[in-house]
Amino acid sequence: MIQVLLRYVVLFTITLVVLCAMSFSLAYLFPGDVLENLTGISPQNEFQRAAIARQLGLEQNYFVQFYYYLERLLAGDWGYSSASGLPLLEEVSVALPATIELSTYAMFMAIVVGIPLGYYAGVKCYSTTDYTLNSLSITTYSFPVFWFALVLILVFSLQLDVAPISGRLSLLFDVESVTGFIMIDILLADNIDHGLAIRDALSHLFLPTVAIGAITTAAMVRITRRSVIDVMQRPYIAAARSRGLSSWQIFFRHVIRNALLPILPLMAIQITTLITNAMIVETLFSWPGIGNWLLQAIYQQDYPALRVGMLAVSALVVTLTIIVDLFNRLIDPSRDRFERGTI
Amino acid sequence: MAMLDIKNLTLEISEGDTTIKALDKVSLSVNSGEIRALVGESGSGKSLIVSAICGALPAKWKLTADRMSWNGENLLSMSTQQRREVMRRDIAVVFQNPQTSLDPSVTLGEQLEESIPEEFVKGQWFWQRAKHRKKIAISTMHKVGIKDHNTYLKSYPHQVPSDIGQKFMMAIALVAQPKLLIADDPTRGMEPTTKTQILKLLTRLNQTRALSVLFVSHDLLAIASMSHTMTVLYAGQTVESGKMKHIKKRPLHPYTKALLDSAPSFRKDLPPKSSLPTLKGSIPTLQHLPIGCRLGPRCPRAQRECVVTPSSRRIHDHIYSCHYPLHREVK
Repeated sequence: MIQVLLRYVVLFTITLVVLCAMSFSLAYLFPGDVLENLTGISPQNEFQRAAIARQLGLEQNYFVQFYYYLERLLAGDWGYSSASGLPLLEEVSVALPATIELSTYAMFMAIVVGIPLGYYAGVKCYSTTDYTLNSLSITTYSFPVFWFALVLILVFSLQLDVAPISGRLSLLFDVESVTGFIMIDILLADNIDHGLAIRDALSHLFLPTVAIGAITTAAMVRITRRSVIDVMQRPYIAAARSRGLSSWQIFFRHVIRNALLPILPLMAIQITTLITNAMIVETLFSWPGIGNWLLQAIYQQDYPALRVGMLAVSALVVTLTIIVDLFNRLIDPSRDRFERGTI
Repeated sequence: MAMLDIKNLTLEISEGDTTIKALDKVSLSVNSGEIRALVGESGSGKSLIVSAICGALPAKWKLTADRMSWNGENLLSMSTQQRREVMRRDIAVVFQNPQTSLDPSVTLGEQLEESIPEEFVKGQWFWQRAKHRKKIAISTMHKVGIKDHNTYLKSYPHQVPSDIGQKFMMAIALVAQPKLLIADDPTRGMEPTTKTQILKLLTRLNQTRALSVLFVSHDLLAIASMSHTMTVLYAGQTVESGKMKHIKKRPLHPYTKALLDSAPSFRKDLPPKSSLPTLKGSIPTLQHLPIGCRLGPRCPRAQRECVVTPSSRRIHDHIYSCHYPLHREVK
C-alpha cells in the first residue's frame, strides 16, 4: 500500500519536474530576450539587467539556471505578465479555478448522465434502445465543440432567450473573488441575495457546461456500454446466472464494479479532452478561465504568461490523471497480481 | 422416473447462411441418486450440454428438444423466474475453469455467501444473519477440504491456487444443497491427490445426501471407478449410454470400444510395449461435420448405410445408436 503510494508520488514528481524543464526551455525557445521571457520585466538600464541576471543565475550553466527556476516556482515567484504587469501567480489563480469549475460541472454531467445511460445501453445490448442511444452518442461525439457551442448560443440565447450569451455572473452582483470558484464565492459574499445570485450563476453556467459536457457524456456512454457488454460475456456472469442469481443481483454485485474498472483509466483520458474543450468554449462564452486567458496572452505575445499557463494547465491534467489512476489502482484488487506474480 | 430427462436435444448455431447442428438429437437422463458420467473428446459438445441445461446459451442459438424436463417440469417452456428458482435450489454447476468462473473483483467469501439461499440463514437481524451466513460458508469450506478458511474467505480469485479455486467452485455449488450437481470437468489440471479428494467428496455426497451427479469429463479412469451410468458423446451425437459395468464389459458401439481400448487400465490382456489402438483421424470440427453417423469416416465397421443417422436402439437399459453394433456380425 505504502509502496504503491510512494511509486505514484515519485512518478508524479518526476513528471512535474519534466514539465518544469519544458517550461524553462520555453524561455529560450520563445523569440526575444531570455531574461524578459523568464521574468516578464523589461530592465530599464544595464545595472538593473545585470542585477536580475545575477538573481536568475543567467551567467551560469543551464542546470544551475533550472535549479534557480525551480526554486522561484516553488516560492511562488512565477514572474510578471508583460502585458498587464501583474504577478502571474495571481492571474493564474484567478483564471484556473474558473476553468476547473466549468470542467467539474461538465465532468459531473458526463458521469451522472453518461455512465447510467451507458450501463443501460450495455445491459440492453443490441436492442432498439441500445441502437438509439448508441447512434445518438456517436452523433453528439462527432460535433465539433466550437460549432456546438455556437449552435447552443444561437438557439438558447438568441432565439429562445433563456440563457445569457456570455460571462460568469451578472454585473449586478458584486462578488469578491476569494476562492475563484463562483459558487463558493457567492456563498461567501455577505451583501447580496444568495438565491438570486446562484440562480443567475447557474443560468450563466448552463450553456458552457452543456457544450463541454455533451461530448464527454457521449464518450462516456460509448466507453461504458462497451465495457458492460464485455463484462456480460465473461464466464463468471454465466456462472452467476447458473447459480440462480436474479438479473438485478448479477448486475449490482458482479457487473457494476467489473465494468467500472476499465472505464476509470479511460475517464482520465477524457479529462484531457474535457479541459481542451473547456478552453475552446471559454473563448466563445467569454468565460474568464485559463483558456481565454491563454488566448489573450497569445494575441499579446505575452511569453511569460504562455510559459506559466502551459505549466499550470499541464500540471492540472497530470495531477488529475495520476489521481484517477491511483484511485483505480486502489479499488482494483486484481492489479497487484502484476506486481507480485500469481500462484 | 428420471430427475433430469433430456430427449433429442438439438442445438443449431447459424453462422452466416449455414446452420450447424452442434448437438444432434442428444438424449441424456439423470436418475435420482445416481452418478452419471458424460464422456467425450474435447469438442464433442459436453460443455454445450451443460450450458443448455443451466440456460446459459446465447439467445440466438436455436435450442429444440422433444423433452427437457426437471422433475417432470418442462425446462424449455418455463418462465425465467421459475428457471432461476430451479437453478438456485435444485441444480448446481461446477464450471471448468475456476479462474474465469469466479468474479475477479469480489472476495471468495462474498461469492460463497451470496449463493446461500435465504431460507437457510437463521436470525432476525442482519448482523445475526451475516454471522450465520459466515458460519455456513465456513462449514461448507471445511466440507470440500479447505482448511485455512480465514485466509481464503478474504482472498480474491487471483490470489489462490487453482485447486483451491476449484474447491471453492464446489463449495459455491454445494452450499445451496442442490439435488443435482453438474460437474463440468472439475478435476482438470489437478494433481492426483487433490483429484482423488474431489472425487471422494463427490462419491461421499452421493452416498450420504443422495446427491445426483452429472460428471462431465474425459478422464475415463476417474469416471469408471465412481459413476453408475455413462453416456458417451461423439461430435454432438449420443453414441451409447447405459450402466457403467455393462458398457465396460461389453461396449456395443465401435467408438465406445475404441475409447475404452485407448485406456490401458481397462485392458488386462495388453501385451507389454505394444502400441495402444486408436481410431484414425481426429474429431471433426463443427464446420466439417459428416452427414449421417458422425463417426462414419473414422469407423472401422462403417458401411453404406452409415450415411443415414442411426436411430437409437435399446437392449434393456443399454441404449446405442449404430447400424452395425459390435454384437452383430458385419456382412
